[in-house]
Amino acid sequence: MTQHVTEKDVRDIATYTRIALSDEELPQMTKDLNDIIDSLKPITEYDLEGVEPTFHPIGSLSNVMREDVETASFSQEEALSNAPKQQDGYFLIPAILGGGDQ
Amino acid sequence: MKKLEEVLKDWEAVIGLEIHAELTTLTTKMFCGCKLEFGAAPNTHTCPVCLGLPGALPVPNKAAIESIVLAGLATNCEIQKHSLFYRKNYMYPDMAKNFQTTQGPIAFCMGGHLELDVDGAAAKERYRLDDLAVGETEGNITRTSDGYTAHVGITRIHMEEDAGKMVHIGGGEGRIAGATHSLVDYNRAGTPLIELVTEPDLRTPEEARLFMQKLRQIYLAIGISDCSMEEGSLRCDGNVSLRRRGTTQFGTKTELKNMNSFKNLHDGLAYEICRQAEVLEEGGIIYQETRHWDPSAKRTIVMRVKETADDYRLFPEPDLAPYDLSDEFIEGVRAKLPELPDQKAKRYEADFGLSAYDARHLVEHRATANFFESCMGIADGDAAKLAKPVANLVINDIAARMNADESFDLANCPLTPARAVELVKLLAEDAISSKQAKEVFAAVLDEDKDPAAIVEERGMKQVSDTGAIEAVVDAVVAAHPDEVARYKEGNQKLIGFFVGQCMKEMRGQGNPKVINQLLAQKLAE
Amino acid sequence: MANFATMSVREIQAGLAGKQFSAREVAEDALARIAAVDPQIHAFLEVTEEAAYEQARTVDEAIAEGRLAEMGPLAGVPVAFKDNMNMKGTHTTCSSRMLENYVSPYTATCVAKTIEAGGIPLGKLNMDEFAFGSSTETSAFGITRNPWDLERVPGGSSGGSAAAVAAGLATVTLGSDTGGSIRQPGSFCGIVAVKPAYGTVSRYGVVAFGSSLDQVGPFARSVEDAALALNALAGHDPLDCTSQQLGVDYTANLAEGVAGMKVGIVPAFMQAEGLDGEVRAKVEEAAAKLESLGAELVEVDLPNAQAAMSAYYVLGPCEAFSNLARFDSVRYGYCAEGHKDLGGQYEESRHEGFGPEARRRIMLGSYLLSAGVYDKYYYPAQQVRTLITQDYRRAYESVDVILAPVSPRTAFKFGEISDPTTMYLSDMFTISINIAGNGGMNMPVGLGAESGMPVGVQLIAPQFKDENMLRVAAALETVYGPAPVAPQFAVER
Repeated sequence: MTQHVTEKDVRDIATYTRIALSDEELPQMTKDLNDIIDSLKPITEYDLEGVEPTFHPIGSLSNVMREDVETASFSQEEALSNAPKQQDGYFLIPAILGGGDQ
Repeated sequence: MKKLEEVLKDWEAVIGLEIHAELTTLTTKMFCGCKLEFGAAPNTHTCPVCLGLPGALPVPNKAAIESIVLAGLATNCEIQKHSLFYRKNYMYPDMAKNFQTTQGPIAFCMGGHLELDVDGAAAKERYRLDDLAVGETEGNITRTSDGYTAHVGITRIHMEEDAGKMVHIGGGEGRIAGATHSLVDYNRAGTPLIELVTEPDLRTPEEARLFMQKLRQIYLAIGISDCSMEEGSLRCDGNVSLRRRGTTQFGTKTELKNMNSFKNLHDGLAYEICRQAEVLEEGGIIYQETRHWDPSAKRTIVMRVKETADDYRLFPEPDLAPYDLSDEFIEGVRAKLPELPDQKAKRYEADFGLSAYDARHLVEHRATANFFESCMGIADGDAAKLAKPVANLVINDIAARMNADESFDLANCPLTPARAVELVKLLAEDAISSKQAKEVFAAVLDEDKDPAAIVEERGMKQVSDTGAIEAVVDAVVAAHPDEVARYKEGNQKLIGFFVGQCMKEMRGQGNPKVINQLLAQKLAE
Repeated sequence: MANFATMSVREIQAGLAGKQFSAREVAEDALARIAAVDPQIHAFLEVTEEAAYEQARTVDEAIAEGRLAEMGPLAGVPVAFKDNMNMKGTHTTCSSRMLENYVSPYTATCVAKTIEAGGIPLGKLNMDEFAFGSSTETSAFGITRNPWDLERVPGGSSGGSAAAVAAGLATVTLGSDTGGSIRQPGSFCGIVAVKPAYGTVSRYGVVAFGSSLDQVGPFARSVEDAALALNALAGHDPLDCTSQQLGVDYTANLAEGVAGMKVGIVPAFMQAEGLDGEVRAKVEEAAAKLESLGAELVEVDLPNAQAAMSAYYVLGPCEAFSNLARFDSVRYGYCAEGHKDLGGQYEESRHEGFGPEARRRIMLGSYLLSAGVYDKYYYPAQQVRTLITQDYRRAYESVDVILAPVSPRTAFKFGEISDPTTMYLSDMFTISINIAGNGGMNMPVGLGAESGMPVGVQLIAPQFKDENMLRVAAALETVYGPAPVAPQFAVER
């Protein structure tokens, strides 16, 4: 069977998707992903020359929009009702290390 | 570090801008009906959609699509009938869904351009501009009598949504570095945002600043945003790279952020150009990185090093329908297109015989253009005659006041268009001198009185009576025989001395034109 | 105990109209039956007693004021919802640790419409975690048992929704179907299970798995009950761009029979490797019955259907990866304690909050969308969608409906299938319908000769012509009878 992803690749994917992956889980996850990717082979073997993609099952769907009219918002309490942590009306999170893009 | 002027002799700076504008004039957010409001209590303008709750779905705001089409039409873009929204996937806490809904390879607006007029001091940053004759074209610029015109390409304008806002606690000055935790407010999340990307056609920080200024004028004219750089509704990132003069290959670029005023945009880019030159000249390497302009320290600092190209896993947003804009829709938007600043300037040239320079600077701000037009309305039959002096008043005195004081509100200040016309008339009729006119201008603003009243009160009426002036001129000439002799020996500069003496005698109220004329006559005798 | 939840919609409404019992009694009785029976099945994750009584009060008031007929097609009917459907004030867990403590601050349109139509909400139903699965075994809150054989799975991912109806714990339940998640459990539990055409029912408020594939639909024990539920659910929702206003009365042609209808048979499906003999025999038997009722059987070809499987396992994970990115411990959901930096909190929360199948699909989707890989899988999968859609369109030029198997086999035993790729084969006959966006349904046709477990046939309609498949299903129902409550839980009346 083709090795589609190495353990290192899987480690990188885990980092990208922000899911911790222990050293013990790594071999099994790598095997599972390789098995699944291998089963997707037919898609790579199809002759799709000139076939337009269909991104949406309803072909005729287009231009669905709403008017610029205000609707009800949550109260601050409702907005925060499921927050694991909050402070002064804000969602509270620990330090963002490594900066960001914003 | 070398000065910009020195650096640009050896290096060509290649600058591209990414300009984000929030569509603040709309009522609601991009994909939900939450109200757009700056400065509300945290998390009071949210709903399942903009909080990214499980199961929520987006529905696009039609007015936002109209706004971006309007922006595209105003910047000479081609409006793409068929386009899609995409999901740009990356996890960051201010983005509720952890993907940003944006557009893919095809944006609503593609391939536009703006013609940028660069004149005066701003034109001096352009390397060896004087090698070009007026009317001559090189690359994307054409030499004009007072500077040059640059053709700046616009790659695209796409529709997207803004992120929420974060407050960083525990670090210095609310910065993310060193913070122990952060607070997130999603009121801004989902604000309609349009991003304009320019071609790398800009070569100087002044061009970048002027481009941003011109775009702001346009956005304000079409009314899609309040364009407040301070509140962040208009934001600009710059991509900068250097290459040796005479080479064509692009250097490695850095991305510059936090340039939240026109001055910061200019200074940040100027600093970054000089920094890169220093690194390169010392044999160093420019890393592809995001840098933050710190205006107080006057330097850029690294925010994030991009080791590899970002992989945002972009794919078409399945929850939104594709767009197939009809001609009817596009034409409907086009009908809403107001007169744009460039068109307005052309009209001023044609209707009032103004120079291109004057016309261009009048339309730099909506306020000054409106003011000028009100004045012309009041001047009525005298409009053609008064256009130039009114333009001078606006471009010089009023614009200086506006630049000096950001809170100055021309539309609501003591200098009404009627008073401005009155002031200009006094000057045109030689009732006051131009120096006096400046005093009256200041007094109108300070005391909220009519110019005529100020002139009266201060007894400033200009003396243009030839007989009265002649007596003073004669006396001055008689009192300074040595100076007269030196003048006659060829020291023509002394004319200034004689004018000054006459003015002094007349307590500044003599008509300088008449004084000059009579002095020249008498001294020639 | 009156066991109202084992009755049909019409029976309940006749009783209410005739004042033989009140909606309050229906609610009380249904809740009591859940308390008595569900411990053996574990279909329910949460019972919404208060909401049930409140709604019963509304229905009883309407009856008292003579407005029962105006109440809507589900007035007084015991209903329940898959636990990926937001209902304000209830937990919406998607059977995941990630959402164990999440309380919905809003209500999904399908839930709101069911309640507006008079349904009495009994609670929230177990499922595969985030709908990733075909057996409901991936639920973080325990398995659901098949009422026909407690040692077997109810199918999935809407296993709780199917089991609740099969055990007579509700008259109508809602499920969602991304690749077969309504039809396959419907088949395993021997009940009518309808996945309408994509766009028929609003997805607003239903926790997304594959946004271009997901569709909400009803489970019931009769075709008419399912059609009545669909009447309540269907329609354009301003909150879902993809929802359509079709304006169809799904009960209108149920009695018309199939004389003159053309029913398509796909030879490649019938000869598929892995299709159990007892299932094939039942599908052939159903075809023969339809023929005897006057339908014409026509062979149709879906040449690209075999690519559907791989297209689905590209598109589903890609959309799921993105849809599940929002579970990040910031605004809601499981939050791992004690982290001083957000990155650590993100990674631990998502590791502990998501089960193994969810983690696998998220990582798979992320890989498939990454630069350089996108063009190899995602883009071709969307091209394959074009081909599959064309196949169906072409087939419907000659037929009114297609008859096919639902699942290649009847319900399997717990733990019998543990390998993910083998589990994925459960959906081999259902997936292409989601890719194309058509409607499909399970119609029970009795028990398998060998397993003795329920077998269903799949009826597949042309796009937005779901009334065709309901009409054929109603005809089959005249032969096979309405779906019974599973024998162990059946009541004498």
